[in-house]
Amino acid sequence: MCFKNLPIEFDAQGKPYLRAGVANPYAPTTTVPRGAPAQLTAENVEQLLRRNGFIKELDFDPVTRVAGALAFHTVADFNARKVIEARSMATLFRGYEVIMVGRDPRDAIYITSRACGVCGGVHSVTSAMAIEMAIGCVPPPLGILVRNMALALEFLYDHPLHLHLLAGPDYSAAMVGPTNPSLLARARTTEAAHAEVHGFRTIGELMDDLNPLSGKLYLEALHMTRVAREAYVLICGKYPHPQTIVPGGMSSTITLSVMNEMFTRLAQFFDYSKKLTAIWDDLTDFFYAANPAYKHVGSRRAHMIDTGIFDHHEAYDATYANAAAWGDRRWATPGVIVDGELVTTDLHRLNIGVEEFVEHSYYEEWSGNGQRQRFPTDPAGYPLSPYHPWNKVTKPRPQGQNWKEKYTWDTAPRWDRQSMEAGAYARLWNTAVARKLPPNPFIESTGTSLKLRLPKGALPEMEIEWKVPDVWNAFERNRGRAYCTAFTALVALNNWTAAMDRLKLGDTRTSTPFEIPKRGEQLGVGFWGAGRGYLTHHLVLDRGAVANYQIVTPSTWNASPTDRWRQPGPYEEAVLNTPLLEETDDPKQFKGIDILRAIRSFDPCMPCTTHIHSDAGVITREVNTCACGVDDGG
Amino acid sequence: MRVIVAGVGYRNLRDHSIGVEVADRLEKASWAGDVVVEDLSYNPIAVVQRLEDEPPEQRFRRAVVVGAVERGRAPGTVTAYRWDGVLPVDDEIQRAVTEAVTGVIALDNTLVVTRHFGALPDEVAVVEVEPAVQEFGDTFSEIVGHQLDGVCELVRLLATRADAVEQLPRAPLGGPAAITSAS
Repeated sequence: MCFKNLPIEFDAQGKPYLRAGVANPYAPTTTVPRGAPAQLTAENVEQLLRRNGFIKELDFDPVTRVAGALAFHTVADFNARKVIEARSMATLFRGYEVIMVGRDPRDAIYITSRACGVCGGVHSVTSAMAIEMAIGCVPPPLGILVRNMALALEFLYDHPLHLHLLAGPDYSAAMVGPTNPSLLARARTTEAAHAEVHGFRTIGELMDDLNPLSGKLYLEALHMTRVAREAYVLICGKYPHPQTIVPGGMSSTITLSVMNEMFTRLAQFFDYSKKLTAIWDDLTDFFYAANPAYKHVGSRRAHMIDTGIFDHHEAYDATYANAAAWGDRRWATPGVIVDGELVTTDLHRLNIGVEEFVEHSYYEEWSGNGQRQRFPTDPAGYPLSPYHPWNKVTKPRPQGQNWKEKYTWDTAPRWDRQSMEAGAYARLWNTAVARKLPPNPFIESTGTSLKLRLPKGALPEMEIEWKVPDVWNAFERNRGRAYCTAFTALVALNNWTAAMDRLKLGDTRTSTPFEIPKRGEQLGVGFWGAGRGYLTHHLVLDRGAVANYQIVTPSTWNASPTDRWRQPGPYEEAVLNTPLLEETDDPKQFKGIDILRAIRSFDPCMPCTTHIHSDAGVITREVNTCACGVDDGG
Repeated sequence: MRVIVAGVGYRNLRDHSIGVEVADRLEKASWAGDVVVEDLSYNPIAVVQRLEDEPPEQRFRRAVVVGAVERGRAPGTVTAYRWDGVLPVDDEIQRAVTEAVTGVIALDNTLVVTRHFGALPDEVAVVEVEPAVQEFGDTFSEIVGHQLDGVCELVRLLATRADAVEQLPRAPLGGPAAITSAS
């Protein structure tokens, strides 16, 4: 059974329908979704703070070493060494939905790219796909292959950046020494199991080179961002906002020379991936062995969602009707994982289960009060919630922070009313379990793992294996991201090989001409992915102009606030489950390293370079993000 | 002596686009072969890599960097100084690198990151303009718009005349308040 909370059932042909006899099937009931944890109420927390001196508020504002603006409020019990309240705050408004309304849909490719300074290309592609679906335009095979390579290269920029510039310093000698001196001492004498791959004799040496600014791994990651970027601009024109992504493919001219130049750069990631995976295997194993409680840092239920990514060039037809079929043939399989079990790979089922709630977000409700639901069904006739992105209307309402009411610019997306996590690792997990990979010589999906065969470079050819973990936590997220670097490089290699085959046949066509219809209403959705996972753009076109545009990013899921059922968002849940293992009893000396490891392991990417909208129409950049003045009792 | 004139800022962000606009205008002017004008409004790590690409014998010896920075001065204030090159503490440099690789473009970040990684020439003249407005648009506020020709002329002077640079006060990031002028 795919849905446990929404009243959606399936007929004999597997088509979803709403259960009969449910008067208001999407009513925001008070029934808590099954198995969901719940935050304490604001009143509970206030009482605990008043009565117990060992319970303290800890605010991280801003959370550093993340992309964009994120603040985090916690209340910690220093006797029990655990967090009892966690609130994630997106402190800037992403106004792209508002900006897009009324525009030519082609503008979306360039405007939504600005949602991110790291991975603008993913937004460009997702918007191009939404337009393709709305207008019925199918890219030629080479266009699909090149698009896949472009975005794989973007991820090859993104993953090392996160692992060794943003998250890596949390595991460096410079950080572990002050927070857990005994752990660093142990690391100095612990031999690294994969020394022959990464070159570090002990874990301590490895931690030294994770040091920010001076560590070799930090500097190497900076260099690798250049390698990926150089390959990317060969086909996308510039980074991070590509100029060659169009509905119906790519406008790049692809020649053997371009392909060869790209390959020389891509090939550098084969050895680099071997090192990355060896490093994160060794680090993870070291922390687990040193203190098994580290398995709880950032832990939460393995609830994940991913749209899949990297279309097969012989399968993708840009239609919603066939989305389940072409989705299943992607190089990264779409899917929803609930409590570690894959419940669907069907993009239709994934799509109809998505809802967005705004009880604790700086937006007004758009549903209810007798308002007509614009789309009761999707284009295939399957039921849609009034809270689904195609039905959503973005209605910003800035106001003060209040834990009982509103405290973030993020919404609370839920799938089947459950708090789902997005990430590169969800991509691995779905693909490993689903066993739907196209035949290829480099990547094998076993049902419980992904085997990755990395070609020879300076290091010998190597088969590495990412196994579905039996615990889900901060360490597994980072380890998964390291393996996803290898996976991504091999997806790029498969697509590079197929593109070369097309070129040898004389097929150089990378795009399909199109026209934007000036009549009628059309719906489209781009199902794609960012480096951090799940990404959708839902588009409604009306007489050639954008009537509605809704973006759900991976960080929309991960940074989401507590919902109407007091079910925390993924960051919040992960922090609530995090033990405080720092070696200090003095709250004043406390750095919150375990909390920060938990948050950073998600690779937060808060939409940056965005502007805030106010009633007066004034646009400014900064907002007051300080959590100190939050009215808990208000 | 090779000189790079660099504009830093965002396009279509009104007064915050002045660095880009100055670079655009000066790029069209005729220069001696040893002056290069570029828009360096991108990830400062990539700027480091761009500057490092110059062959050792052709590395830039002077940089003239221009952009809008909010420092609480009177809008339209133009501040010019020789940067003393003193870097902030490591945590701040790390923050600057994080912002660099995640897409933030700011004059301070560009200077700090390129200096930290040794890509910036020793001699750096900075020309800052205090913006009056920060909003989407391709026009300047009146007060900043009035300064545009003067800023271009000042940058041209600093790019071509070593004595003009030497007359500037040596100062930390932001410049000495004493030499600021709204005229």
